[in-house]
Amino acid sequence: MEDSVLNSNSNSQSNNRQTVPFNDAKIIIGLEVHVQLDTDSKLFCGCSTRFGEAANSQTCVVCTGMPGALPVINQRALELSIRTGLSLNCRIARSTKWDRKNYFYPDLPKGYQISQFDQPICGPGHLDIQTTEASGQPRRIRIERAHLEEDAGKSIHDESNDRQSSKIDLNRTGTPLLEIVTYPDIRTAAEAKAFLSELKLILNYIDVSDCNMQQGNLRCDANVNLHIPLRGQQIATPIVEIKNLNSFRAVERSITFEAQRQFEGWQENGVTIADAPKQTRGWNDHTQMTTLQREKEDSADYRYFPDPDLIAVKIEETQIKQIRSQLVQLPAILRELLVKEYNLKPDDAAVIVSQGRGVVDYFLTVADGCENSRVANNWIGQEVLRHLNESNQTIQQYPVSHQQFTELLKLVIAGTLDQTRGKEVLNAMVEHSISSEEAIKQLGIKSVDNSELVTLCETLMDENQNVVEQIRSGNEKAIGMLIGKARKKNPNANPGLVKAMLSKMITG
Amino acid sequence: MPDTPEQPIVNQVARLARIHLDEQQLKSSGEKLEQILGFVSQLEQIELPKDVIPFFGAIESVNAIRDDQLQTSVPREKILDNAPESDGEFYLVPPVFKPTDS
Repeated sequence: MEDSVLNSNSNSQSNNRQTVPFNDAKIIIGLEVHVQLDTDSKLFCGCSTRFGEAANSQTCVVCTGMPGALPVINQRALELSIRTGLSLNCRIARSTKWDRKNYFYPDLPKGYQISQFDQPICGPGHLDIQTTEASGQPRRIRIERAHLEEDAGKSIHDESNDRQSSKIDLNRTGTPLLEIVTYPDIRTAAEAKAFLSELKLILNYIDVSDCNMQQGNLRCDANVNLHIPLRGQQIATPIVEIKNLNSFRAVERSITFEAQRQFEGWQENGVTIADAPKQTRGWNDHTQMTTLQREKEDSADYRYFPDPDLIAVKIEETQIKQIRSQLVQLPAILRELLVKEYNLKPDDAAVIVSQGRGVVDYFLTVADGCENSRVANNWIGQEVLRHLNESNQTIQQYPVSHQQFTELLKLVIAGTLDQTRGKEVLNAMVEHSISSEEAIKQLGIKSVDNSELVTLCETLMDENQNVVEQIRSGNEKAIGMLIGKARKKNPNANPGLVKAMLSKMITG
Repeated sequence: MPDTPEQPIVNQVARLARIHLDEQQLKSSGEKLEQILGFVSQLEQIELPKDVIPFFGAIESVNAIRDDQLQTSVPREKILDNAPESDGEFYLVPPVFKPTDS
């Protein structure tokens, strides 16, 4: 720690501490993110990684740690790790090895976890995140490393049997995890959330993980402390690792809570990083607080050593090149494309890209087809995304093909259908899985020719002479009343055309 | 390398390994550990050129890798046969959170 530390609890110091406003404290945050890699089989054996199967139905002598069983590394887990590393601008190790992390817990049958200690598969990298800072500049969060390891099993602390025993399910044991560790570069709770959102989006795009947080496929711990300026020096509070963060909201709220708690604690007792070791606290979603987790004093002594059951993995340049050549366009590139080439506002581009590659492709095809990216964005960003959200469908399940959608938008852009009728047509297309043509027919929408429009306007003027007078005497807004009446008389009449014709006929 | 492993180290290793050693066992373990460390420390006498890269296993080959292929798991009743206690579905272990913890 570069910061010099003041260490005294005298009254004058305490008074000094009380004068520091919370906003002067800098929050220092680093994240450790565990991602379950999307493999069929486990990291070191052929057992299935499927979620939700009958307890202990997916285990074998390797993942339950029977004597003499030998682990063999899964090719796809290596590939997915390299793919992730490349997407996070990491240096990929040319040689990587396996280490045993020793600790005892009932859900760890071998008494150690196979992990990577000093030669992780991915070395330093970085991820740029968008923040709400006024400058609009992205923030670069450095990645320290990403290493492969096996997951542990699941303990079930059953209340029903009077806690006479805990139940253990080892199905998850040996599932491949990639642990991504950032440098402490994150400065706010919102930035932590932005980092996780972007990371999750990337992992989705590159097909590395479904990142389902409910199923524990993306798990996060946050290391948090404060740097507080006091009389020209920086004071660091003890580092706290917050565990058990299984939603983005939990990450954001726990960091906000923890920063406040540490600040108040320091004001009260002046304890700094020099006085106290790193502490582990758990986030409680019900109480919205972090609480101290009791640990054996030496549980951090994992006594890592190279696993003699496994041999090193050499990664060839050609393999890295091949994986690099297959990398898809990442979200940041696509957002830039939508802003620069399709003239979308950054926020609109972010919404489209956040929905995944399928929605981006749908947008690109429709925007190209109807030659109006703004209209395409309005309709996809609102109508399509709302439908997908409400029906919990993916774009692949959306009943309207991009061809049909393009045809509809062409009619709207040409003015053949106004916005309201266009949406009615779209709703019919979605509901009955029919084409725009069929929907228009079904809704009885007919094109209204010019002479019909003239007759319609003349009738309206005859029937509403007082409104006509209002308009003539300068109340232009009154024309809206006539347009409303026009719609009732003939729903097919385009309100834009009706308005133009009426104002010409009334005011000349 | 200390000539004699400190007794506290033996204590700590035993605690980490969840092994209970009585005084006699602690003493003999200390002596055995001392012998092992003494034997291994002979390696320190070898003078190595600076550019020697450490290796981490007795086997020099690399890349024992398998394809991501499913294999049949061991039937549950068979694997649970190895457990000191089970309910036919789960392994049963002493409670992680003792009743007094709540």
